[in-house]
Amino acid sequence: MSARDIILRSGTSELTPPAQARHAVDKVAKLFDATLCTGCKGCQVACSEWNDLRAEVGTFQGSYQNPMDLSSECWTLMQFHEVMDDNKFHWNFTHTACMHCDEPSCLMACSTEGAIFQRADGTVDFDADKCIGCGYCTTACPFSVPKLSPKDHKAYKCTMCSDRLAAGLEPSCVKTCVTGALKFGTREDMLFLAEQRVAQLHANGKTKAGIYNPAGVGGTGMIMIFEDITNPEAYGMPKDPVVSKPNTLKQDWLKPLGTAGIIGMAGLALVHRIAVGRNRVQEDEQNNGSEE
Amino acid sequence: MQKSSMIVRHRLFDRLCHWFIVVTAFFTILSGFSFLYPSFQWMGAVLGSPQLARVLHPFTGVLMCFTWMLLLIRYYKHNKFQKQDAAWMAHMKDVMLDNEDKIPPAGHYNAGQKMLFRMFILTSVVLTVTGFIMWQPYFAPHFSPEVVQWAIFFHALCAIVLLLGLIVHVWMATWIEGSIAGMLYGKVSRAWVRKHHPLMLDESEQEKH
Repeated sequence: MSARDIILRSGTSELTPPAQARHAVDKVAKLFDATLCTGCKGCQVACSEWNDLRAEVGTFQGSYQNPMDLSSECWTLMQFHEVMDDNKFHWNFTHTACMHCDEPSCLMACSTEGAIFQRADGTVDFDADKCIGCGYCTTACPFSVPKLSPKDHKAYKCTMCSDRLAAGLEPSCVKTCVTGALKFGTREDMLFLAEQRVAQLHANGKTKAGIYNPAGVGGTGMIMIFEDITNPEAYGMPKDPVVSKPNTLKQDWLKPLGTAGIIGMAGLALVHRIAVGRNRVQEDEQNNGSEE
Repeated sequence: MQKSSMIVRHRLFDRLCHWFIVVTAFFTILSGFSFLYPSFQWMGAVLGSPQLARVLHPFTGVLMCFTWMLLLIRYYKHNKFQKQDAAWMAHMKDVMLDNEDKIPPAGHYNAGQKMLFRMFILTSVVLTVTGFIMWQPYFAPHFSPEVVQWAIFFHALCAIVLLLGLIVHVWMATWIEGSIAGMLYGKVSRAWVRKHHPLMLDESEQEKH
């Protein structure tokens, strides 16, 4: 991957965009079909294998899920949601990793130039060397994906195996998936497959099945199929994830207005000083010790 | 000029506090500016690398804010709004144009300074509270992401308001000649007081008796 592949960089404005020459690159996506997932954790293991991550083995928390949350050393996690439907128990498995949003809230909140960037293929990635550890991305992400490392205080998350994509391979989680619950391709193709699959599910009587590709973050580079799209929370996914509102307010309103205010006030001070001149006290010619 | 013509305006402890705040604010504001405006990351270099600046900013900020609050408490008694303040405010134009004869008398602090004082109270408190909420990795993990995001917003908002107030503070301090010497060495001339804070004379007389 080269700098020419980067189309969006954190800490920059529209005045200084990164390279825009490669606009013909297709956006890619992972397609996670929850209705096909068996919760084997193959994706979780493949992720740690390929990325050389070895999260500490946790303790039993009453769930098959382990660790209980993503971390700086666990970029893909199999979530086990226990659901009771009509007195019948079943699992909702969720392949949890970065959603690679089209409008990445993390990138917009980042305090550092180029520490978070988006490539022409739509993948969002972090540059650990530039990361300063402010943690803005960890709270701005509507999916709570980026995590700060307790060891080096830098933020980490799924890279969509950008090193594999550069070599023309699919992400390691997709490569290892045995049931076909994970697929990889262009975003267009994945949406086409997803629609076909949902139509099939509807025909099978699962009329609530649908595609999770939230518009509040501009669509995502991980598209999901849920058996009940009306209740994504049952899969641990937010219903209407949006780009961070406090951050949008800060970047789009506070900073332009604040900058104008700072420059205006400094300018006013300078003009005043030059126009009005010095403000000096005429000291008494004789000493005024006798005044009292 | 004889010694008796000089009046104490700032005590040694308060002066030390003030200049300690100036030094810590230099580091805190420049590094904070580098986080708010990533294009100006080089400003954070006063605290070392960007990573080091991120680690140190909250510590210099806490040193700044606690000393600042102490000074605000010590100067509170001079900053209560009084009857003469409304008249002074009405003649803001004459103040800015230095029309000495038309400016209503002010006490230890004039109405403009009293407003700045209130702004400093507000920003010092909000910056400290929000600063703790967003402080990684010690405090931020104990708050919900929603709360941390709003803390980041209000931290930035108050930082900008503070910076605007600070520009006015420095502008006036450098314009009103004798002010900086007063804050450095504590004393101002009787003529200076008569021009800028005439009612302070009565106040200091009252304090003596």
